[in-house]
Amino acid sequence: MSAFATRVGRSAITAGLQAADVYRLFARTLYYVFRGRRSRGATLEQLYLIGNKSLFFMTTVMGFLGMITVFQAGLQLERVVPDTSQLGASFAELLVRNFAPDIGAMMLATRVGAGIAAEIGSMAVTEQLDALRMSAADPIDFLVVPRFLASLVMTAVLVIWGAAVAEGVGLLTGWSVFDIRPGTFFNLMMVDVGDVVVGLAKCFAYGAAIPLLSAHMGLRAYGGSEGVGSATTNAVVASSFAVIVLNAIISAAGFLVFPQ
Amino acid sequence: MIQVHGVSKRFASLVLDDVHLSVPRGSLVGLVGPGASGKSVLVKAITGLVRPDAGRIVVDGQELTSLGELELQAARARFGMLFQQNALFDFMTVEGNVAFPLRRLTTLAEPEIRARARDRLARVGLAGFEDRMPAALSGGQKKRVGIARATITDAPIRLYDEPAAGLDPVTSQKIFDLLREEQRAAGATAIMISSDVDRLLSVVDRIVMMVRGRVVFDGPVDGARSSENAMVRQFLRGETEGPL
Repeated sequence: MSAFATRVGRSAITAGLQAADVYRLFARTLYYVFRGRRSRGATLEQLYLIGNKSLFFMTTVMGFLGMITVFQAGLQLERVVPDTSQLGASFAELLVRNFAPDIGAMMLATRVGAGIAAEIGSMAVTEQLDALRMSAADPIDFLVVPRFLASLVMTAVLVIWGAAVAEGVGLLTGWSVFDIRPGTFFNLMMVDVGDVVVGLAKCFAYGAAIPLLSAHMGLRAYGGSEGVGSATTNAVVASSFAVIVLNAIISAAGFLVFPQ
Repeated sequence: MIQVHGVSKRFASLVLDDVHLSVPRGSLVGLVGPGASGKSVLVKAITGLVRPDAGRIVVDGQELTSLGELELQAARARFGMLFQQNALFDFMTVEGNVAFPLRRLTTLAEPEIRARARDRLARVGLAGFEDRMPAALSGGQKKRVGIARATITDAPIRLYDEPAAGLDPVTSQKIFDLLREEQRAAGATAIMISSDVDRLLSVVDRIVMMVRGRVVFDGPVDGARSSENAMVRQFLRGETEGPL
């Protein structure tokens, strides 16, 4: 029992120290957002790498998920209440408030998070981060800030795009399988300001958390390729976990501020 | 002048154990020792890249161990460092790598920066390699790019971690001679780590030997050669039998 308690206590301390490290990283990232000297074009390059390079992945997955969700929801509705007229309106609300930001962020946590951790981690184990420091280039300013800014913008852009794709594919599915007319399916009646605010708040929270946690894992990588692999895995796990925790917090706050 | 007072550092095990070292201004000190004896960690501690658990490091009168990260950034402008693994930025060209410290640490105009980078590359025998990426270079060429980057700012303090690793004997000697010549011309204070002990002894003013995180010898080159210390004797002669 005491050994178990020791292990739990040690894990809690480690988690607390890591949380403090992430907080310090966040604070220094914000400092360098306004006071940094990063190279010109670095943020634009990251906008391209995080945004454009994720477009196909996001489009494909959100399209399929939109199709499957509408198909399954339509089947259930036909069995229980043989009326699918409100399917589109419910789907739009679900998309804006939860589905698009949560699923989209999970996808970005794997693609973008892994990429950031692997890139920064490989620089850490080959002493490139130390070489940056020796030239008065703080890796947080030089590497983390462009990824942070690009992720903030592109997470929102990709989630909105993903929602549009899911809505479009869902509309086609509703039309072809359940004979719901596009005009009936595309119905934003149930989407209110609270849904939009909660959806956007999630986009920005996820867009900040994924690069920060991934960069944190990359910056502390050590021990060669094994260390890079470990950092990458940890980044995906931590980012996905952060998405779940932030989802719970923002959703709860959303229900309090904008009651349904 | 570099002064190291009682510096200790522990990672998984004790890497530096109460290290004392003094490198007078303008001198070139060779740092030798078996693998994992703490040489690279000591050099990184001197630049503030590794924070000691105990002890003080004073460089040109400024105590580095008490500085915050932002203050350290400014203090590091005085250092030029060659890393053991070269640490070339793999997303930049060769010229970009060499010019990087000038772009960050000086206010020189871009044409001047590029001219200096090309000149520095020519001095290490890499004229015409400016637009290549580090991945397209051999181990020796990477090392020479690292040397060009470490010396381009004419920093008053220079730290070379294995400058001859991966180089053929002729190139090694040229590199040692080049580093020595530049160090003398600039009046720089320098520490050089090398496993090529014979060549190292031919260029340094003093030799320091570390074993298991401790300094076991600190003295002139001739003193090292005639040392009664069994570890120093065994290491310098490359003998397999002995305390190491």
